[in-house]
Amino acid sequence: MECIISIELGTNAVRVYAFDMKGNTIGFAKGSYPTFHPHPDYSEQDPEQIFITMLYVLKNFLSEKIHSKKYNVLSVCFSASMHSVLAIDKHGVPLGNAITWADNRGKKEAQALRGSPLAEAIYQATGTPIHPMSPLIKITWLKNQDKEKFQRTYKFLSIKSYIIQQLTGAYVIDYSLASATGLLDIHTRKWDPQALAYAGITEEQLPELVPIVHSPGKLQPQYRVSLGLSADTKILVGSSDGCFATLGAGVWGDGKATVTIEDSAAVRVVGTNVLQDKKGRFFNYILNDRYYISGGPSNNGGVVFEWFAKQFGDFKNAYDIESCMDELITEAATVEPGSEGLLFLPYLLGERAPIWNANARGVYFGMNINHEKKHFTRATVEGILYEMYSIEKMLQEYHTINHISVNGSFATIPFCTQLLADIFNKPVSISPNANSVSLGAYLLCATEIGVFQNLDEAARSIALPDTCKPNHYNHGVYAKYYSIFEKLSRKLSDEFEALASLQQSGTAIHHAINT
Amino acid sequence: MNQFVLQQGQSRELQLFPHIIEFATRKNISIELNSLPGTSADFVRIYYIIDGKFEWCIHDQPYILYPGDMAMILPGQTFGNTKGILEIGKLSWLHIHIQKLENGKTQLGNWSNLSESETQMIGKILLMPKTVVLPRLGDAGRIFLSLQNELFNHEIGYCTRVNQLLDELFINVTRRLTKQSTSGRDFPKTFLQLEQKLRENLSHQWTVEEMAATVGMGTTLFNERVKSYSGFSPLNYLINIRISEAIKLLKKPDLNVTDIALDTGFYSSQHFSTTFKKLTGYTPSEFRKRNVSES
Repeated sequence: MECIISIELGTNAVRVYAFDMKGNTIGFAKGSYPTFHPHPDYSEQDPEQIFITMLYVLKNFLSEKIHSKKYNVLSVCFSASMHSVLAIDKHGVPLGNAITWADNRGKKEAQALRGSPLAEAIYQATGTPIHPMSPLIKITWLKNQDKEKFQRTYKFLSIKSYIIQQLTGAYVIDYSLASATGLLDIHTRKWDPQALAYAGITEEQLPELVPIVHSPGKLQPQYRVSLGLSADTKILVGSSDGCFATLGAGVWGDGKATVTIEDSAAVRVVGTNVLQDKKGRFFNYILNDRYYISGGPSNNGGVVFEWFAKQFGDFKNAYDIESCMDELITEAATVEPGSEGLLFLPYLLGERAPIWNANARGVYFGMNINHEKKHFTRATVEGILYEMYSIEKMLQEYHTINHISVNGSFATIPFCTQLLADIFNKPVSISPNANSVSLGAYLLCATEIGVFQNLDEAARSIALPDTCKPNHYNHGVYAKYYSIFEKLSRKLSDEFEALASLQQSGTAIHHAINT
Repeated sequence: MNQFVLQQGQSRELQLFPHIIEFATRKNISIELNSLPGTSADFVRIYYIIDGKFEWCIHDQPYILYPGDMAMILPGQTFGNTKGILEIGKLSWLHIHIQKLENGKTQLGNWSNLSESETQMIGKILLMPKTVVLPRLGDAGRIFLSLQNELFNHEIGYCTRVNQLLDELFINVTRRLTKQSTSGRDFPKTFLQLEQKLRENLSHQWTVEEMAATVGMGTTLFNERVKSYSGFSPLNYLINIRISEAIKLLKKPDLNVTDIALDTGFYSSQHFSTTFKKLTGYTPSEFRKRNVSES
């Protein structure tokens, strides 16, 4: 029997899936790695720990679930979170930790670029919003703030490029991940000279650009031995988690969009055109030679509800957040839509699309003397979903959407899916496979092997199950609250900024006391 | 509690308990110069505040203690008021001799009924560099009161009860110390704290019990939560960190492999080499040859 392995280098953990040739899941394993925050706004991961965790999980998984059942591994395909940056020296040794997508240290650099006439040209060429998440900004920060490391850097890699280099020896980056760096011209598919000049680097300092189906070479013999894989097993560079999640969600064709809500969240559409937004609010990532994945990301998905549960939930057993969240959801369901006038802006981690305001903060608005905890719970869920709705509305300016497919642990909670259908006023289906990212990797490998003619056919093979229908009456209620939500999000901009500068000076004082 | 002072060698109440050096409750109504200068001692000193506000300096750190708070000063640590005075208020204290307080070799004394492994765990936790003041430890007040009753009333079995109460005090203090920094709500945060502890002391031969105690959890729940959160058993996760750290060190040309093995917690370079090769297919030296950084 033959199988395909997907390795997803996610935000907190590596996930390994095996699929048979029909796309059925054979097995799954994961291993987590930590994120370090040595300073506020910093978010780093240890590339060696990611590599070892991946190797450890993969080795055990292969021996327990694959080799023992005599599966023959045809291909191994990678995917990873976007926007990471890892500097290495000329021997390939990492210069410190990798900087992850969530790192905001380049706030000032992003602001400076956004204020310059170059900003629009760079966004139009690269399709990546000007934001601290973007490797363009992170490398610019290194150039300005860590000159010594910047000077010593032989190449700037992504975490996935490093892992693949360790396994095969090749320095490569696929067009999907490259298109999320803010350094690639997504129209010509070459590194953008303006962006490179701005960051102060040359093409030679970046990995080689390759298509997502590219095979960077064979596994190093030692890893072949320790993993028990043959020289015939093909290594595919694969794509980004965002692109694969969209491919695996089966939203191919006009009028469809996917809403992913894990810790963070995004609304995405597939198309053959780049969405050129004058205000620079969308990302446009390359899936393959034909398709782009466009959309808007949010920082404040399931992580916000988890925050709420940790603070206000009833923990009957230590650390049992799952049952605590179940209970909160059950309570929230007893409250009328609109939470009896309580509104929540979920911007606990600042926000990206559509307001692109790193200083935005959370707000409960409209509290009255009759509100109980359950109203807060429901308002929190509604607020997270209003935020997703605001991204969808912005996409609608360019792309008609009449059907939604959801995935991700938060969005697929039945209560949340129904709420989403009502707020969006559109039929919603839940992706049949819990892990769309790995399913996307399977579709790519299967196409490469010849199971499908092309990615179109592969994507259309995902049958979406029954839909969750919107309740139009409820939508009417939500629509009224949403218009207040939208106004508040913008109106508070000055106050968010004032508060952010207070908090910043607060942190400075706090640090002074502690040192 | 009424005022009293029991001292070893002078008070008959302590005859059967040679490990108790001093046990007292005092209501201080006037400030006297030099009533609480900074001192260090070779026994453990435990203070429990009943009334008032006390500003103390313990092990060179300033603390303010309020009613219900408890301070534990270990042998060799300094303790006193910066102005040398005992402030107005009411407090109890217990000075107790511990046979040996040393990582891995702790002995409370023959009086204790704690098992060998429990004693070692308590020793390790007490020796961790943590705050020595435990706010709102009401249990300590209750134990002090019971101790006083047993010592003065001499009811049947009092000799056993006194020593049980001392064991209980040490158990409560260590449990509280391990739970101080965790809420029981945020496992990722707790796990990150553990990760930091492991990295700070990677060469230590950690046991699962120690890891669990470090974050204030029982072993069963700890195993289950670590596995579901990280995908690894606690010991496998630790090996994971060890090899990741070893890889970083191997890439620096100036360190020798045996030192790297011991620094990252392997028993020997042989143990390191076997574990490393099993996972990566390379021996540490082969791996190093392929990836050496400029020095």
